[in-house]
Amino acid sequence: MGGELGSRVTSLLEEEPWVGSLEGIDADPPRRRLHRAVFHRIVPGQHDRIVEVVKKFNPHVVVHVAVWEPHSRAAPGVARDLTDDAATSILGAAAECRALESIVIRSGIEIYGRARNSATRPDEDTAINPTTQYGRMVAGIESTARRIGDRIGVTVGTLRLGTVVGAHVPSPLGRLLRMPAVPYSALADPPFTVSLDHDAANSFVAAARLRLDQPLNIVAPGAITALQAIRRGRRLPIPLFGPEWAIAKTVAYLMGAPIPDHVIEVLHRGRLADGARAREVLELAPTATTAEVIDQLYSWPSVVRTPARAAVA
Amino acid sequence: MARDATARDSVAEVIQLPARAAARANARGVSAAGDLATRAASATTSTARTGIESLMRWTHNAVDDWGRDARLSDRIRSVSGLRWDVMIGGQHHLERVRGGLIVVNSRRFSLSPIWAALHLGRALDRPVRFVGRPDIAPAGPALQRLGGLLSDPAELTRVLASGELVVLGAATTMSPHRVGVVDHLLVGAAVAAKVPVFPAATASSSLQRSARLQIGTAVPVNRRRRGPLAELELADDLAIAIGTMLDEFTWNGWLLS
Repeated sequence: MGGELGSRVTSLLEEEPWVGSLEGIDADPPRRRLHRAVFHRIVPGQHDRIVEVVKKFNPHVVVHVAVWEPHSRAAPGVARDLTDDAATSILGAAAECRALESIVIRSGIEIYGRARNSATRPDEDTAINPTTQYGRMVAGIESTARRIGDRIGVTVGTLRLGTVVGAHVPSPLGRLLRMPAVPYSALADPPFTVSLDHDAANSFVAAARLRLDQPLNIVAPGAITALQAIRRGRRLPIPLFGPEWAIAKTVAYLMGAPIPDHVIEVLHRGRLADGARAREVLELAPTATTAEVIDQLYSWPSVVRTPARAAVA
Repeated sequence: MARDATARDSVAEVIQLPARAAARANARGVSAAGDLATRAASATTSTARTGIESLMRWTHNAVDDWGRDARLSDRIRSVSGLRWDVMIGGQHHLERVRGGLIVVNSRRFSLSPIWAALHLGRALDRPVRFVGRPDIAPAGPALQRLGGLLSDPAELTRVLASGELVVLGAATTMSPHRVGVVDHLLVGAAVAAKVPVFPAATASSSLQRSARLQIGTAVPVNRRRRGPLAELELADDLAIAIGTMLDEFTWNGWLLS
């Protein structure tokens, strides 16, 4: 509930007529003003406190959004530990609740992996074969949730999000694309797709309402290549061919836009997914295409400097 | 009168007439050679800027859901016109078809599926993809921009089910009169996606520009078969149909080979 996506999902759930009481847990306070929801500030490692709070609340539906994308808000190692802790404690605690009917979890299209000869545009039936750390993290969450669902007999809906990009959303891909000079693979420059944070949040609400019981890909329609994205943002494209990537990664890290392995994979191998089934099942039309999401990424002001109204001695 | 003169001066300021600009430059003590150099530098900068802007406009493309770049495909097709002068027949069979698989024969090194897809796309005014891109840079992503797909039945099923036209090449042969083996697993993708399958005969010359693509009527699937025999029989029927069409071609001696 503390992250940008979690706060947005909560604010949308507050407006839903079918939602009674609403409670959330996160290590960080909510990014938005919430009216009905009760927030508990607990770090993911405090299993006992989480179990106590969740059991006391006894929810009908659990929406698990606590996924730390590497280098979005935490370094890859910390992100992995936080994600594992949150999945274990929150889903484990939810399993103890008698009233539980449905679990909706956040996953990512990184779960399909981009191994050689893997599907160009995988749908939900494509076998998963994660090839990056983030892909393995979300595969772990899906596996945990599925096991719990089978064990206690509740539905488990999985939303496999494309790279979430949106205003204030901490995303390593978004950060990289907004740099003044952006490296891209000159030999490949493959297409990729993204998700708008607003569409992703709407999908969680719809999945919770429908008690979703299957995985769905949540991606914006269309695709874009890194060079095309750089061109739309009027950034300086830097074509790279191979060994220079190590230098580019270091420079990007020093400039405040570290590039994790799943973003490197996007730039070298691309990342597409078929989101047709989600539109059909959730009956949601995406509000923006991939190109429009990228345009919005570049239209957000970098730093707004407000001068002081009066000089202070 | 003085006011008019002032107005004229201000207009000249805005327009920056070259004579007046030169006069002012001379007045400031700039030598004629320096002025020439400045002008040359300015012209070069302007040309470079125009060139960069043109290049940026020319490369400002977009890709679709499967990574095909329509504008790049059009340009490559235009360039390929220097190599192949393609005559297409039987395209009316595809005009009302939403998704469909077109199986063509392929002489070795003729690139038949690629030019067939590019030129058929132009004739039908809709994207036509082809099967058989490698999944390795730079060839794989480059062919993906032109509509290339992996030779994977699952991927082909998804593309066909989403209403796309796809060209599939039979196994390559040395003789242009013969049809290679049609991959029944890939043909099975069309059966799974429930889309029609069309045979198409191609012929192109190694030395001349003449090339021909003739599309036949859809080959029906044997619905009585419940297993993979349906696909095997369909693949055989397609090879026979393409062979029959090749026999009907008027061969132009050894040049059309």
